Amino acid sequence: MPDPHAWASLPEQPILDVGITVLAFLAAVRLARWSGNNPFLNPTLIAIVLVVIVLNVTGITYTTYMRGAAFIQFLLAPTVVLLAVPLYRQTTLIRASGGLIAMALLVGLPTGVLSAVGIAWALGASKITLLSLAPKSVTTGIAVGISEAIGGVPALTAVLVISTGITGAIAGPAIQRWLRVEDDRVTGLAIGIAGHGIGTARALQISEVAGAFAGLGMSLNGVLTGVLLPLAMRGL
Amino acid sequence: MLEAIARVIVWLGLGEVLTRLGLVPVPGAVIGLVLLYLDLLWRQTLTDDLGRLADGMLALFGLLFVPAGVGVVAHADVLRAEFVPILAAILGGTVVTLLATIMSLGLVRSLARRRKQMSASSLGKADVRA
Repeated sequence: MPDPHAWASLPEQPILDVGITVLAFLAAVRLARWSGNNPFLNPTLIAIVLVVIVLNVTGITYTTYMRGAAFIQFLLAPTVVLLAVPLYRQTTLIRASGGLIAMALLVGLPTGVLSAVGIAWALGASKITLLSLAPKSVTTGIAVGISEAIGGVPALTAVLVISTGITGAIAGPAIQRWLRVEDDRVTGLAIGIAGHGIGTARALQISEVAGAFAGLGMSLNGVLTGVLLPLAMRGL
Repeated sequence: MLEAIARVIVWLGLGEVLTRLGLVPVPGAVIGLVLLYLDLLWRQTLTDDLGRLADGMLALFGLLFVPAGVGVVAHADVLRAEFVPILAAILGGTVVTLLATIMSLGLVRSLARRRKQMSASSLGKADVRA
């Protein structure tokens, strides 16, 4: 005799939240592929929208969802470590591109911070929003730490970082085509510095060179912003 | 495959410990990335398993950001109150950053090309710079 309440145990296990997330992403990837990888149908963005809809319809709170979805989020850190692999595969090219990499950071890092804070300030954003926005181009794990250190709201920063990554993943390849950039190192560095991990995920689809340089831009930008931004704020 | 997973976890774990010690103001995952990269440079070999693990996980990179993005629900009130400045900062700031980076790199590349041409056509042609 099957247990008629067997389904009731699902919400108590991470399987429900992990399942919602994985199925939403699967649907998002299918949709993106069906559209011929239309850049506006970014799989991460679509999956987030789908999960938010499911949570609203079912009445599952964000806190409950995160209890299970944390298992997926945990995999983010080891995956960031694995970015060392595409970097290693491109070591020769990276060694030959020192000047390009230095220039990308010199321009991209301050532009990323100042443009966001400047625009929001000009439009009258509150101080706490400005502080939460400052590390928006940096990969989630680092950005949250910076936000905490300079007095922003870490959880708000996480959302702003994700939105930035999606924007970078959509706008990056479009700008590449518009400016007719033929060097995948340039595209990769720009997307990685402006759009961190989500941008890097997109750059990996362009080519392994673009992916490796995006990963490099993301890591160097993350490390340098993590050191420089809190120091600069202390100086102000 | 187990060896590859263990290697990633060990470097990540060491990275986390170094962060907690407060020696470096950088998250454990980034220190782990640097450590694994140094490890690969040191050994000068990439095992098939580690390569496959990286390719497999990086193909799912986009999925791993979904839970944090869903946090948008938890901050709906702040986002609604300051929707315009936040949206403008994210869209405008990101596009400006992409443009500035790509254009400055275009400049570096054309300078490098000109320098190469100059040394190629060498001898007394310093006026090429103009």
